[in-house]
Parts: sequence; C-alpha cells; structure tokens
Amino acid sequence: MRRIGVDIGGTHTDLVLIDEANGDLVVHKVPTSVGDLAAAALSGVEELCAKAGTSLSEIEHFMHGTTVATNIALEHNGARVGLITTDGFRDILHIARHKRPLTFSLQLDLPWQSFPLVQRRHRLTVPERIVGPNGRVERALDEEALRDAVRRLVDDGVEAIAVCFLMSFLNPVHEKRAGEIIAEMAPEMFVCLSHEVVPLYREYERFSTTALNAYVGPKTAAYLEGLAGILGDAGLRSDLRLMQSSGAAITWQAAQKQPVSLLMSGPAGGLIGGIWAGRQAGFDNVITLDVGGTSADIGVAPQGRLQFKHLLDTQLGPYNAMVPMAEVDAIGAGGGSIAYVDSGGQFQVGPRSAGADPGPCCYGKGGVEPTATDCLVVLGRIDPARFLGGRQPLDAAKAIAAVEGKLCGVLGMSGHRAALGAIKILTHSMVQAIEVNSVRKGYDPRDFALVAFGGAGPLFAVDIARALGVPTVVIPPAPGLTSALGLLASDVAYDFSQTLLTGTAPESADLERLSAAFAGLEKRARDQLRADGFPQAAIRIERIAECRYEGQGYELRAPTPPGPIDEGFLGKVRSAFDAEHDREYGDSSPDKPVTIVNIRVVGTGSIPRAEMPGIAEGTADCPPAALSSRSAVVFDTDGEVSVVDTPRYDRDRLLAGNVIQGPAVIDQMDSTTVLAADTRAVVDRHGSLIITFI
Amino acid sequence: MAHRSQIAETEAKYGPAWIDHAGIDPVTLRVLGGAFNAVAKEMAHVLYRMSNSSIIRESEDLGCGLFDVVGRELCESETSPMHIGSIPFYVRGFMEKLDGTIEDGDVIIHNHPYHGASHTPDFGVATPIFHDGVLIGFAAATAHLIDIGAAAPGLNIDLIDLFAEGTLYNGVKLFSAGVRNEEVWSILRDSVRTPDMNASDLEAMIAATRRGRDRFLALIDSYGIETVLGTAYYWMDYSEKRLRAEIAKIPDGSYTAESWLDHDGRNWDTPLKVNVTVKVAGDDITIDLTGSADEVETGFNVPFEGSLKVACYYIVRTLLLDQATTEDFIPQNDGIFRPVAVEAPLGSIFNPRFPRACFARMAQIQRVIDCVIRAMAPVMPDRVNAGNSATVMSVSYSGFDAAKGQYWVCVEVNEGSYGARATKDGLDAVDNLMANTRNVPCEEIELHYPLRVERYELRPDSPGAGTWRGGVGHVRDMRFLTDGFFSCNGDRLNEPPFGIFGGDDGRSGRVVCNPDTPSAEDWPSKASGRRIAAGDVIRIMGPSGAGYGEPRRRDPARVLDDWRDGLVSLDEARSVYGVAIDPTRAEIDQAETTALRSDAAE
Repeated sequence: MRRIGVDIGGTHTDLVLIDEANGDLVVHKVPTSVGDLAAAALSGVEELCAKAGTSLSEIEHFMHGTTVATNIALEHNGARVGLITTDGFRDILHIARHKRPLTFSLQLDLPWQSFPLVQRRHRLTVPERIVGPNGRVERALDEEALRDAVRRLVDDGVEAIAVCFLMSFLNPVHEKRAGEIIAEMAPEMFVCLSHEVVPLYREYERFSTTALNAYVGPKTAAYLEGLAGILGDAGLRSDLRLMQSSGAAITWQAAQKQPVSLLMSGPAGGLIGGIWAGRQAGFDNVITLDVGGTSADIGVAPQGRLQFKHLLDTQLGPYNAMVPMAEVDAIGAGGGSIAYVDSGGQFQVGPRSAGADPGPCCYGKGGVEPTATDCLVVLGRIDPARFLGGRQPLDAAKAIAAVEGKLCGVLGMSGHRAALGAIKILTHSMVQAIEVNSVRKGYDPRDFALVAFGGAGPLFAVDIARALGVPTVVIPPAPGLTSALGLLASDVAYDFSQTLLTGTAPESADLERLSAAFAGLEKRARDQLRADGFPQAAIRIERIAECRYEGQGYELRAPTPPGPIDEGFLGKVRSAFDAEHDREYGDSSPDKPVTIVNIRVVGTGSIPRAEMPGIAEGTADCPPAALSSRSAVVFDTDGEVSVVDTPRYDRDRLLAGNVIQGPAVIDQMDSTTVLAADTRAVVDRHGSLIITFI
Repeated sequence: MAHRSQIAETEAKYGPAWIDHAGIDPVTLRVLGGAFNAVAKEMAHVLYRMSNSSIIRESEDLGCGLFDVVGRELCESETSPMHIGSIPFYVRGFMEKLDGTIEDGDVIIHNHPYHGASHTPDFGVATPIFHDGVLIGFAAATAHLIDIGAAAPGLNIDLIDLFAEGTLYNGVKLFSAGVRNEEVWSILRDSVRTPDMNASDLEAMIAATRRGRDRFLALIDSYGIETVLGTAYYWMDYSEKRLRAEIAKIPDGSYTAESWLDHDGRNWDTPLKVNVTVKVAGDDITIDLTGSADEVETGFNVPFEGSLKVACYYIVRTLLLDQATTEDFIPQNDGIFRPVAVEAPLGSIFNPRFPRACFARMAQIQRVIDCVIRAMAPVMPDRVNAGNSATVMSVSYSGFDAAKGQYWVCVEVNEGSYGARATKDGLDAVDNLMANTRNVPCEEIELHYPLRVERYELRPDSPGAGTWRGGVGHVRDMRFLTDGFFSCNGDRLNEPPFGIFGGDDGRSGRVVCNPDTPSAEDWPSKASGRRIAAGDVIRIMGPSGAGYGEPRRRDPARVLDDWRDGLVSLDEARSVYGVAIDPTRAEIDQAETTALRSDAAE
C-alpha cells in the first residue's frame, strides 16, 4: 500500500510517503506558501511522488493535517455569522460563563467580547421554547418571526447562520424546522444547527461550538473543496481524509460540515505520531513530547490510548468548542524560548520566543536575547558546524556573547552555569506539565516510556525523563517528521454523542431510552463508515458513557461494554466509572447514585498501520565511521558544572543493535540527542534510539 | 492541660528568622516557585471537579493553598478573589484554640467569623503537614457551603445575631489523627438542609487538602525542608518588594471617596455610608474606613479580618500590579499583604462587635474597593476605571421537595459590569472585582430545579456614557414552577456607579417581582426567605458601569456601532453623544454631528 501524509503547518509543510511494498519511506519538506495553499500542496505532493518514483494515481491512502480552520479562528478572519436563538437569550455568547480570565485586573479584555464570533446586531431571537426533562414544546416556533430574522440576516450579508435554541438537545424539532426554512429562503447559506453540531447540554458551550463551526465553515469548506478538486484532477483516486482534534481521520466531505472538529488537529497528529513511534519500538505506555521552536506539546497515552480533554476545557484560543480533543498540553517552551532576567530580578525562560525571525542569536539574523538554542550552543550540546546537517552553520560567538551579556552579569554566574540554569528552568516547566497530565491523573511515570521528537525534543528528553523517574526514552528515527508520520498512523473515526441524563441504578435507569439512543448513534456511525467504503470487518464500535455522581457537575468518561443494554450493562458502567473517578481524584463512592449524562459512540474504520522501514543491522559496537568527532560538552553533575570531552556520533551511520554509552551526543539532520553519563542508548531495528538509565 | 506551642517550636526551628534563603540558587527558586503554584492549582482542580454543589463546581466559589504554621500564605489558587487571602485568618483563628494539640492525620473545620472566617457559609478545611514529627504548616481550602442551617435556606440577611447564621465550628477536628469523628460528622449533616451536598463538598475539600499536603511533602523529599521553606519565604519577600516599589511611586498623601449603600435589609429607608481614606506614606498604604456607618442590627456587617482586609489586599494589588499590564509573574502570597494596613473603628459596619451577625458582606466590601479606585483616580488615571457595578447580587431560590424529604436550594451569583477605562470601554455582564465565579448554565438549572429561566441577556437600556462607555449589565428572569422561597443579598439599587473625568454615571440594578405584568413590583436589594407562589417570576437586573471622559468626545463610529448593536438609542446618540445617525442608511450624518458637537462646545 502506498500512503501519503501532508502536514501543512504555519511555516513549513512536511510530506511523507510510505510504500509498504518495498519498505521505502520518502520525505519532503517545503516552505508553506502564503497564497494558494491547495496549489502549493499539490506541487509539494507531485515533487514527493517524483522523489518516490510513483504517481498520485497510485496512492491508496491520502491523509492531510491542516491548520486552515485553526488560523481562521485565531486570526479572527472568519465568516460574517448570524445567530438565531430563543427569545430572551440573545447574549449567551457575549456573557459566556461570566468569569474573567484574570483575577487581579481592571485593564483586561474579554476576548469573546472584543472578538465576538457573532456581532450583537446579527444575534436575533425568535419566540420558541422547548423544556425539560423530556423536551416538551412549551411554546411553538414562530415561523413568521424566523423568516423575518433570516431576511434581516441575508440583507445584512451574513455568510453563515447558526441556529441555537435552548434545550434543543432534548428535542431538535424547532432547530430542524428552522434549518428547513433557511434552506428554502437562502439555499446557498452555510447553516449550522446546534443539535447537529453538538447535541449536548450547557447552552454557552453548545452555542459557542455551533457559532465557531459557522465562523470557520465557509472558508474551510471552500479550501477542502478546492484541494479535493485539484488533487482529483491530478489523478488522486483515493479519498482525501483529514486529521481531527480527536486524533482520528474523517473524509473531506464530512469535515466540510463539521470543520470545528479540525481545530486542534495539529497537536493531535503529533500525539498519534508519538504513540505510533513508541509502539514500533515496543512501548505501549507512552508520554509524548514534541518540542519545536516556540512550544512543547505534551501527551500521555496509557496503553497507547488517547486521553480526552473534559468537554468544558476544550477550547481554541478564547473560544469554547465542545468537540472531542485529544489531551495535548501545550506550553511555551522550545528552542527559541528566550532566557532573561525580568524587571524584578527573576531568572525566566519563555514563554516569550524569538520564533523563526530573528530566531536565536546564533542564527546571526539579528537576535540579541539569548534563547534555549543559544544556551545549548554555549554548552557544546549543539555543534554549530553541524546544525541542520551543516546547512545552516551557527555563530557560537554570538550565542556566548548573548548569554554573557544578558545573563551572567545580572545573575552573577558563569556562562556555563547560566546556560545550564536556563535549560533546567525550561526542562522543569516541561516536567511540571507532564506531571499534571500523568501523576496527577493517577498514572505513574515509572510505567511509561518518553517518546521525544520535534527538532528540540531529543535535546531535553534525558533530563526530563530523569526528573520524572521515567525509565526509558525513545527517539524516533526522524524526530522532525514524527507529526507528519502520525497522519499515516491514524484510523478513520466518527464520534457521535447525545445528552441523556439517566441513572445507573435499576430504579432510576431508563433502559429503553438508553438502548434506543445507543442504537441510534451506533447506526449513524456504521452508516457513515460504510459510506466511506469500510467493510464490516474493519468497523469497530466503541461505547462511552460520560458519568458523574448525582449532584456533581463534571463528567468522566467511562468505557462501556458491548452487548445488550440491561442491568448487567449498567453495573459494568457504574464500576468503570467508580474506577475512573478513583484514578482521577483518588477517591470514589460506590454507594452514591451515578448519572449517565452523555453517551458517546465512536465508530472506527481501521486502516492497517504503516510499518516503519527497517535499517541495516550491526553489532553492539558502532561502526567507526559513525563516530564523527569529540568535543567539549557541559553537563550538570550533582549541581556542579562539569566540562566533559564527549564523543559525537552521526546518527545516519548507526546500525541496528549499536550501543552508545553516555556521555555522548548523537547528531542528525533535523535534531540532536544528548546522552548524559548515566544513560545508554541502543539502536533498534527501525533506527529508533532506546535510551535507559544505568 | 497546658500544651507546648507548636507554633513557637516550628518558628524557632523553621521560621523566616532562622531559615536562610540567601544561599538558594536562582534556578531552584524559580523551579520551586512554579511548583508551589502548581500545587495550589491542583488542589483547586480536585475540589471543584469533585464537589456537588453548583456554587463550588460551577461558580468556583472556593480557595485553596499552602500556609505555614502561623498562617503565612505560601501560595493560593487564583479561583475566587473573595477567598484569596482569607485563609491565613482561618489558620490564625483556629490556632488560637488548637495550638499544641494538632496531630498528623487531623482535619480541622472552621467557620467562625469572629475568629478569622470570611463569613459562616465559607467553611475552612485544613489538613496539617508534619515533617519529622514537627508541624510545619497546613494545606487548607475554603468553599461556600450551600446551606449551614441558618434561619432561611441558602442566603440570609435579616438575622438577629451571629447564632442565627447557622452552626458555628470554631476549630473543630473532623478527623483526629486519621480517625473521623462520627459525632461531628453527624452534627454537620443533621444541622443543615442539604446534608448530602454538604457531605460531598466537605469530602472534596478534604481530598483537596490531602492532595496539597502530599504534594508539599514530596517537594520537601526532593529538595529538603530548608530549601523548600527558604524558597517560600524568599518569594514572600519578593512579592512584598514588588508591591512596595509600586506604592512608592504614588505621591504621599490622603485620598478620599464616599458612597452610600442601600440599607441593612430591615431598615429600608436608612442608607449606610461608606467612607474611604487611602493614606500613602512612602511604600506603605493604609485604607481607613473611619467615618463609615455604625454596625447594623441585621446580618449586613463585615467580618474585619476575613473579609474587609481581604478586599483591601485585593484592590491594592489589582491597581498596582494589574495582571493585564504587568508582564512579570508575581506570586500571590503573604508578601502581598504586608505593605497594606487596614483600619476600621470597632463597632462600625466594617468592624462589628461580637455577636453581631455578619453573613452578608460582599456588597459593602465591593463598594469599599470601588471607593478606593475613585479616590485614587486623580493620581493614577491610567490605572483606574470608572464606577463599577461594585456589588454582588447573590440569590437563592429554594423550596421543600416533599417527595425527597429535603430542601432544594439553587444559589446563583449574578454578574456585574465594569466601568470604562482610560482607553477602552468597560466589560459587559461579567463578574466584577472580588467576584469571579462561573454562571450556572440555564439548562443545568432547569434540569435540576423546579425553575424556568425565561430571560438571560444584556439589559435593554444603555450603560454610563463617556468617551469610553461603561459595561452593560444583565437581566435574568426566573419563574418558580412550584411554591418556594426567595432570598437575596445585593445592593446598588439606589446609587448608580459614578462616572469619572466627565463620564456619565452608570445604571443601578433592579429586582422586580412579576415584571411586565399589572402586578409588577419593585423589591429591595435584600430579602430573607420571601415566600414565592408557583408561577411567579423574579427579575434581576445587574448595574451597568459608568463612563470615562466626556461622551461628546467618543468616536462617532463607536456610537454608530453601539446603536447598530442595540446598546444606545437614536435619541441618546444625539442628545448624549452629539452624534446624528441616519437610521435608514445606518450611517453617521457627518454635517449634523459636527454641528451638534460644536453647539455643545459653545
């Protein structure tokens, strides 16, 4: 099978092609164009195919990761959206949860008020009301008022309409009717009905998700349509599929209707790539660490399973979007993070970043503030002559001057000590973020392997693993391309959910409703996957019950068994929930009544995993040619600065089975791995470095 | 039996006078400083995610942190500002009684407002932290319990004394050396209307404090106690130094402002004066409430330590180290409190004498803050804002569910709005100043209580006009579906938020029973357990913020935007802002606007 993954990021586009027939992995990297994204993607793909000696028509699987929708939301250049909502509730999006992001401030802004998804003039209300608990119509929809509202919005030139009625998750009859009327009056309009986008309770979050979908919708849909067309014209016969925030793929046609599900797909791709790389190296329990120039993305995947954010925490920038998002924590720590002494005399590193321009001082592009990369140059860990395989020599003198000029004097430290300190502060911020996502959620880091990638991940991985007590570090063969490879390691999956609010005890459970609801969602998932062309055998249906103890306000996801929905089923849901609660909070109450708030069905169409190509085998001793040089590298030995004469290896020349004893540095085109004296690395059959502590 | 003082023992061994932080390197200081804040945050996360009552889990009306043995704050979660800085007084309060008797495994509960508590419903839970057999501090949390067995369900104001506020716990051990005191537990449950909810919330608080203790001990394990406590004291000194540097920039002198509260909840025609004098001398600042009203006969008094002082710490930090304009991270800890002195004569509404009731205090302290801002406006025009809603309308809707044999109580914290700033409009419909809670979703309310939310949006009238306008308040209509009770603790239905530098005043709030009907009736800002019949509607309108600067200097394009968004009328655009709008073309009539504005100039 030939597969292509295309990951279009902010600054560059990574393209990968795996040909499983001959085990080839072909990679290509081009700058992301600012103009016609689709045309630029096509030329990158054609170059990739040419490199691999194949053509687009021979590609059986085409995956795409895009930040198009994300950028629209973050740059505030989405569609002009109209909102039609229930009389009396015009400003739900404006009031949000009435909580300020800052505690101690009079001068703050509320981003959802400064950059509204829908301006107040385009938020119109109509008489209608559905009420709980069973979705009774208390006030019929005033269709004349609705037509009037649509007319006003159309006259005002809106490009998308979101329809958000209170309690529509219990009974969508009014939203459906509104959808019909809009379709009749404005057939070209991009319409989003809240019960279709996210049929879950909590009006602000549902309205916001729906409005955000409308906001990014028209442009994203047009981009996908254009890309699919241009690829089809160029000969692509397989489906174009997209990575979602949940870490699973959907077809481009489905993504057009639900672009809100693409918003956090970038970090999810990295996580999937890290899980895949870990699994290829034989590790299922992984912590992934993707460090680039400005930020570090951290994920925890016990048994290779994604964790999901709580639906009240799923945001893109300031906007809530109640869609499944893989739990990836991003912090402002990367190679470009600036080390500085703040106006109060405190030593800080990041989140401010020198970015790509001017970049670190050693790039010689005008940067004057020392960055993490400069510190690594000062410490001899990055070899200035071999950066990017020697294609971009670095100016070590500038790095040293910046560290000495900006840090040493104020802190009263030597250059080495200041640089070590900066790296320690930076790695500690990553350690803390990993702890929040692991230990504090009941996972013991000692049971995990740390998979480190991105250009800068391998530089910090050993220090981080040691601080966390993680016994093993895995550095995939191509750290800079791990996210793009993640595109080739994902399944297609559709996620359907519904608010239910039923008990799990026999007397409080509504088995009939539960059963019907699961059946309905499962049918939708199966139908969609069949339409995508998956055979019965490749379809997997997973049930999730989002539960809480009666009276609580936050749900936890409890995995639920297949099979008939009866009292035995309820018992299993409840015990699965108790176990989750205990893990998350260190406490459970098996006697307390449990409510199933939402049910969720994930239908997965499995795609055979790509296999990482193998490398040539050798012995425990590295080939002599792999030892490229020796250089002075600075390490922290029990808090003391020690300068160690350290061997440097050329990663491309290492063979499977080679063992490297720290201290050592392993250089490669897109990254550098640092081994401290207490570690040893073994090269596995795919070329991954498996690092353990001695 | 006399106990040896654990405070004295620990202070002699590990107190700031003995622990030397000079030798701790800047990297460790930075790393541990970050770790303290992470612990506080994690504690809060456990508490609000586990708890049952909406006021904790949705409103996040809680605080969590680590404290040394005398109550010096090492770190605190930035949840609700009302709780930030109050816990030290809880610790000092219960240690007056318990010093010498604290054992590892204890859990202490406390809510006595004359011994440091913020007010009776804000329960404090503290878990002591021992190292090598020595008490080194506490992991503690405070949270608002939905009902504590007071005269009326939920909220109370018309109370004869402290004892009518509910059950008082003055440093009571809920656990002794790891064993739960079942008798106390039984009283906790049996003396309140919401026993299950209170029990769950207390369990969440206990879990949060134990989590904090364990995390702190893990830090000590890794870094050693001298380094951990030394770092804690270092950061206190640091935050103090940063705040003092800002105070020193203010010209020395006395700055004053006054304002009037509606009434005390019983004597409806007697407004109550708030008189604020801010005295700046070098790098010290004193907030003096002398000249304010005397203590009142209802529950509308302010606990001096746990509430008034906390408010003063809040506004000094907010004005001088505004998080939106201060780039550096300055941790919240004991150092923030040190430069601030607070004075209020004993027997005044801000320093009542035992056993005066003091259940409802948000309105008063919010007004103190608003007065401090106004007093300082002339010397820091870029840092202040125009008059805020500066109240909190807390409301409880309740009733008795005969089928369950329990009361249902829905407490809601209504939002406010901000006054305009020097370069931007005020914030609309958002929690103001000391309040920073989350609203309860309307759909949540309807699914849990016999209530119907009929309206929740911006209020229809315009906010205070100015070069920059005030924020717009909200309106919320709630219909009872069964008979029940209504209580509220609010204020600012009379005096509106004040405009500054030529800006107009904002709008005061309203409480209306059965609005838009022939029997509509305006109610006062305070109510204690008023009976409500099924079908009745209560409307709450939050105040709208005041304007900053002359309205006729407002950019006409902004006036047009506000008109298009339904926030000002055509008439107001013309008469208040001097902007003529052509409504059919939705454009500004430039010539007429120029004429209107030049007329006004003459």
